[in-house]
Amino acid sequence: MADLSVQIGSLKLKNPVLVASGTFGYGKESAALVNLDKLGGIVTKSVSPKPRDGNPPPRIVELPAGMLNSIGLQNVGVEAFVKEKLPFLKTVDTALIVNIAGSTSKEFLTVVHRLESEEGIDGYELNFSCPNVKEGGLEFSQDPKVTAQVTAFIRKATKRPLIVKLTPNVTRVSEIARAAADSGADAVSLINTLVGMSVDVELGRPKINTITAGYSGPAIKPIALAKVYEVAQHVTIPIIGIGGIMNTQDALEFLITGATAIEVGTANFLDPRTGERIAAELSDYCEEHNLASISELVGSLKT
Amino acid sequence: MPGKKQHSSKGIFDCPILSVKNLVGDIYLMRMSCPYIAQNAVPGQFINIKINNEFVPFLRKPFSVCRRSEKEGWIEILWKIVGKGTEIMSRYQRREVVNILGPLGRGYDIPPDLQIALLVGGGLGVAPLPFLCEEIRKLGKSVEVFLGASSESELSMVGAFRDFGSEVFLATEDGSLGKRGLVTEILLERLNQIPSLQGVYLYSCGPNPFLQAMMNLSEERGIVGEVAIETMMGCGFGICVGCPVRVRDGRVGEGLFKLTCIDGPVFNTTEILLDG
Repeated sequence: MADLSVQIGSLKLKNPVLVASGTFGYGKESAALVNLDKLGGIVTKSVSPKPRDGNPPPRIVELPAGMLNSIGLQNVGVEAFVKEKLPFLKTVDTALIVNIAGSTSKEFLTVVHRLESEEGIDGYELNFSCPNVKEGGLEFSQDPKVTAQVTAFIRKATKRPLIVKLTPNVTRVSEIARAAADSGADAVSLINTLVGMSVDVELGRPKINTITAGYSGPAIKPIALAKVYEVAQHVTIPIIGIGGIMNTQDALEFLITGATAIEVGTANFLDPRTGERIAAELSDYCEEHNLASISELVGSLKT
Repeated sequence: MPGKKQHSSKGIFDCPILSVKNLVGDIYLMRMSCPYIAQNAVPGQFINIKINNEFVPFLRKPFSVCRRSEKEGWIEILWKIVGKGTEIMSRYQRREVVNILGPLGRGYDIPPDLQIALLVGGGLGVAPLPFLCEEIRKLGKSVEVFLGASSESELSMVGAFRDFGSEVFLATEDGSLGKRGLVTEILLERLNQIPSLQGVYLYSCGPNPFLQAMMNLSEERGIVGEVAIETMMGCGFGICVGCPVRVRDGRVGEGLFKLTCIDGPVFNTTEILLDG
């Protein structure tokens, strides 16, 4: 059996397959369908200091090979997360990474402070990059200085592994990645959704309430791969690749390009078993290619 | 809803198609072998079907369980061709296998004090009602069915209700079948004949303007009612959070929205506000 484990800072994942924030709820929703223990990790839906109602409908629109969403970070808030969602997540034998959203660095800190005393949390992913909220969304990860400040601020508050989730909606994502790496992030994850739009030509109106929204699905995979490739040339901390991963072939492309781990996102809406299947098939791939460890593959791209 | 029973857990199944029939116009009925869902679904619940193995159309598509046989292990779904997905489905052949996720959502509530159930379908909103009719008839209660559509070519499943021993009242806007006019008009006529509305429950499904009329009627007449709504859905089981419906009397920060897929698609008429 090949060794599928990978290292993200001090965190050892049993395999490199995580499920992405906002595409897997708080785990329990899929428990009847998926053996959650087989995943390398679960990244929760974003947790903010207070509950958020989210955006009015319509929030999603289907596109060929993808979709737009503008949920607006609807979530139960950190207090209800700890009381109602965390107990179940603790029973799952996989890494638990809590995705955190906030409008200010203080809001991020509030959530981290509340979670620090809770056991069973293996790391945090800072959502600096939601395109669908008015405050604290994109601007955090569009400016390297702000990314550096907030990362350093949160770094002081926790010893747990810290992952900064990056937006592709910038000119040079590697600058932002480097700012996060230099400020104490243990890893960067990318890409969050691309800003996109769709118009109903009969009504002459945007198909999403917030006009623009986040584009995801297999259509964005080539863009995501190019961003991971760019970041891999500029940082030494682990990269978690995200963007349109539907199957094992897609996951392998990200690993070869330089991602240490991957997150399966929108594919979960079609089949929440996707991550479990990829983890099993990565093991087969290693056997077939005589790899003792999956990490031999990471960044093995021949150019 | 408090008092609603817990539904069975969902699964993902590869289901052989037993038949696909073009009932009328662009409306199709498909029967699939799926013993688990046939035995565990409740009326008003839905399944989410993967149209093909390509990425166009991208998302699964939700369909109400229209009829089922616990004994023979099949379920049926009803659709009208409205886009690429339903067009592909209309070309499905017997023995092909489709991947379905279900049963999903919260179904209709059948309270113990129910005496007369009035089932009202607008257009393709008839879809979940045959299953509901059968379940209520099994309890020995009376079911009357009111179906409306723009024209005869939009009306389907009428015979199914008669098979379960229910009377069916029809209305079409062009008068091609049943009474000329709206289904709400024939329903009102009947309501005026019922001496006491004690034990009468109103179940409906259809487009939002029709459901709004039903919600108004429930309130005006003091009849307990449930509506099954249709919204755009991403996943069908609560993880994408893409199908919000406004909560009546919702307060900011305390939940302005419920999700159609897990809190519905059936809601009490006093529970929600409809858009458009």
